[in-house]
Amino acid sequence: MDAWLTGTYAHERLLVEAGGRWTLPALPELDERGRRLLADAPAGGGAASIDLQAVQKLDTAGAWLLHELTRELAERGWRVEWSGARDAHAGLLAEIRRMTAEPLPPAPDVNPLLRVIANLGRNTLAALDEARRLLSFYGQTLVALSRLALRPRRLRLTSLTHHLEQTCVNALPIVGLISFLIGIVMAYQGADQLRRFGAEIFTVDLLAISTLREIGILLTAVVVAGRSGSAFTAQIGMMKVNEEIDALRTLGLDPLEVLVLPRLLALMIALPLLAFFADIMALFGGGLMCAFALDISPDQYLGRLSQAIWPRTFWVGIAKAPVFAFVIAMVACYEGLTVDGSAESVGRKTTMSVVVAIFLVIVFDAIFSIVFSALGL
Amino acid sequence: MTDANGTVVRIRGLRTRFGPHVVHDGLDLEVHPGEVLGVVGGSGSGKSVLLRHVLGLLRPERGEVEVLGQDIWSLGEGERYALQARQGVLFQDGALFSSLTVAENIQAPWRERLQLSERLLQRLTGLKLALVGLPRDACHKYPAELSGGMRKRAGLARALALDPELLFLDEPTAGLDPIGAAAFDRLIGGLQRSLGLTVVMVTHDLDSLAAICDRVAALVDKRAVVGTLQELRNLDHPWLRAYFDGPRGRAALPAAAGLGA
Repeated sequence: MDAWLTGTYAHERLLVEAGGRWTLPALPELDERGRRLLADAPAGGGAASIDLQAVQKLDTAGAWLLHELTRELAERGWRVEWSGARDAHAGLLAEIRRMTAEPLPPAPDVNPLLRVIANLGRNTLAALDEARRLLSFYGQTLVALSRLALRPRRLRLTSLTHHLEQTCVNALPIVGLISFLIGIVMAYQGADQLRRFGAEIFTVDLLAISTLREIGILLTAVVVAGRSGSAFTAQIGMMKVNEEIDALRTLGLDPLEVLVLPRLLALMIALPLLAFFADIMALFGGGLMCAFALDISPDQYLGRLSQAIWPRTFWVGIAKAPVFAFVIAMVACYEGLTVDGSAESVGRKTTMSVVVAIFLVIVFDAIFSIVFSALGL
Repeated sequence: MTDANGTVVRIRGLRTRFGPHVVHDGLDLEVHPGEVLGVVGGSGSGKSVLLRHVLGLLRPERGEVEVLGQDIWSLGEGERYALQARQGVLFQDGALFSSLTVAENIQAPWRERLQLSERLLQRLTGLKLALVGLPRDACHKYPAELSGGMRKRAGLARALALDPELLFLDEPTAGLDPIGAAAFDRLIGGLQRSLGLTVVMVTHDLDSLAAICDRVAALVDKRAVVGTLQELRNLDHPWLRAYFDGPRGRAALPAAAGLGA
């Protein structure tokens, strides 16, 4: 049975009969029949009546369609009258009549080429603005840091230890595992190439130098950016959404001092320690691989290791850690503080924080490489 | 459509517990078709929890919850999906999807469940906007760009998208100024009459209770005490006395029942 809408033209009158369940699920079909009815109706108009007696159920969508049909008939010159509407439906029909369901205003639409250009300009300006604000945030943080240096008692030790646990202790398993596996991969790949020259023993040199100088710290920084950087942004961002940052300010507390500095210092302590751990695990993984697959015994491995590397090799790598930590914490906290009040923005800023932090870490790594090679390190 | 006894929502022997904390114990409640039922209670008395039980978001420890004649905790997935189309919910702050515009929010249930042409979608969106009294140019705005009152109206439009028989409101007037709250009360009252809705409304707002609720369920002592506002005011329960006869209660509910004492 469902719903129906029929029109017959007789004796110069258009008789429209509506019936059944005039509700939302039937709407597409009824609308279609309505179109057809309008198309079939003779031009010029005249008297028309809509018989609603058989309408059993009516909701807002159905009532709207009835009015819509009536309006379109009237536009084509028909004088429309209704008959047989149930009392139960009269209120709804009267209510919907007051609603003007005109088409919605179109979404602001512009020339696609123009939009691309406008977006390019807008994004460029936004990026410049972002860089300027990141720089000013960097300045503010340095000021807060030096204020802290003058009055070390203001350091929030509880918060610092909490973040140390979160960013350092809890990151040990993942950083260790990744480094261990990378050590294995590098030893294996290195040996594969060097075997052709009969220089397998130099696998140890390759592994040790690249791990200590670059891979250990870079890998750790990337993992920490993904793990702790995103957490910082999300935490601070949610606080921003809940107006907790504003609450801090009104209580006379500096969000920079309360939220940013403990995270920053914790990460600057954590990252060198994690990088050291990563170095050890990578060398361990590489050593294991050497012993099992390359017949380089642990004794030989350690002997070769002590010839291949100097304390300097280690320090060149680890010296980068606090700088990377600073960059990651800086970006993460900055992005968190620029969240603008919606949950969606927290997600966007968190992604942004990780991407920008990893990008900047690699940029700084390149700068370090140039500086170190200029210094002959 | 209701069950044989003409009840839209029936709760029997409901028990809710969070850890050692018992919120409801042996709670019974019935909602009749076409009425506006206000649910009141102190903070922590489990008003919102009760709503979550009825919506099927939280399973009670014990007890039956029937909505539109169906026991919601024994329904299959398909039946529950069908039932959900017959009830609309307005969450406290609208709970609009923040990544969609107002129009897209209202259209979300239609796009999910029906095959409507773009033309019909547009027109129906306009109709819903008009129903809840939102300006037409609000349709392309994102929820973050709206005021609290407009967010609630947009949330109501989404709740009404599928023309539900049963409407749940969680503190519809919380966070609105008195003028906005009164307007929202009038809006709900008007929609309820013209669309023939059954409304269950969790509220703190005594003005709303007085303005549009036919009956009131007060959650006290882990149970629900139900009656008309008048009946509840004549009951001698310490919480109800404090609630209705406090300074706010007296201001909102002028002398009418106070004389009974």
